[in-house]
Amino acid sequence: MDRRWVVAGALAVGTLGMGATDLRAQGGAGSAWLHVRVEEEGRHPSKVSVNLPMSVVEAALLMAPETVVREGKFQIGRHEGVSVADLRKIWAELKSAGDTELVSVEEKDETVKVARKGDLVQVRVVRTGSEEGVRVDVPVSLVDAALAGEGDTIDVKALVRELQKRRGDVVTVNEKDNKVRIWIDESSSGGGK
Amino acid sequence: MIGKVLLAGAIAVPAAATATVAATGVAWIDVQEGGRDGHRIVLPVPLLLAELAASFVSEKDLDLNLGGAAAHLRSAGAVLRALRDAPDGEYVRVEEEDEQVVIEKRLDTLHIEVHGQSEDVKVNLPLAALSEIIGEDGRLSPARAVRLLRHARFSTLVDVRDGDDHVKITVF
Repeated sequence: MDRRWVVAGALAVGTLGMGATDLRAQGGAGSAWLHVRVEEEGRHPSKVSVNLPMSVVEAALLMAPETVVREGKFQIGRHEGVSVADLRKIWAELKSAGDTELVSVEEKDETVKVARKGDLVQVRVVRTGSEEGVRVDVPVSLVDAALAGEGDTIDVKALVRELQKRRGDVVTVNEKDNKVRIWIDESSSGGGK
Repeated sequence: MIGKVLLAGAIAVPAAATATVAATGVAWIDVQEGGRDGHRIVLPVPLLLAELAASFVSEKDLDLNLGGAAAHLRSAGAVLRALRDAPDGEYVRVEEEDEQVVIEKRLDTLHIEVHGQSEDVKVNLPLAALSEIIGEDGRLSPARAVRLLRHARFSTLVDVRDGDDHVKITVF
């Protein structure tokens, strides 16, 4: 499984919990549920389904090691050669350009493209000579909030404040043998999805 | 006359003890080994006795034994309390070729089931008791948890089948 979407998924899951307190404070938002679906094909297929009340996600985040989350910020540093500070610059340019493909990185065995389309940031990773790839769609408002911090940190609290307003898909990943979907709604089962 | 008094006392004491145990609960531990020569051990443990034994466990000693994990107890306690207060639902389902795992919350109990090729595990955790093991201050209190097991009476806490072996813990 590609590590990129694992990082994106872990980031989304980790930050969602921080907002549970605020969600409860707003009254009625305590019924929000985080849903994760992972489907792996291949020689050893598996399916994972997670449905968690946001209150539990928030409490679980408190158990994260201090080095990972400190003062509401994830320390992730450089990942795959791109630091958070670099991402912040890229994002600033992307926003000013509107709907466009801003970043296209061609490496030996894969091509990475980052584009904005409407209210989504689309990340596409295509393996050279193969149909395999990764598709990650993240709401623009979420990226805005996450990159509002400084240095090599993602501002989790700001991210969660933004998530409080959101229902629907947060992260979707479609790879040849792996599918991941993370979303928030007010159903305990995810609406049978 | 004295004989009658002694007889009454001889009957009253165990009767009172039985009544006390019945009122406070019993954990019934049943271990059966598979195979032709497998042993079977059945151990009834009055919860009152278990609570008394747990109360003698020094909190200081518990901290020492936990080492670095003690620092995370407060957070772990918060997770347990959040689970206790959370709405019912199927929280986790994992389906693989030869194993299935389901974690579900129903009526204040966390039900964990693991079904494999040669094993079946069912664990029913009374969240009220579990969440009290770790206090708000992050200190462990086994005695408090055992006391709350009284609220889990007439339920099976653990039922594990592994091949021909079977372990079952029920609270009456």
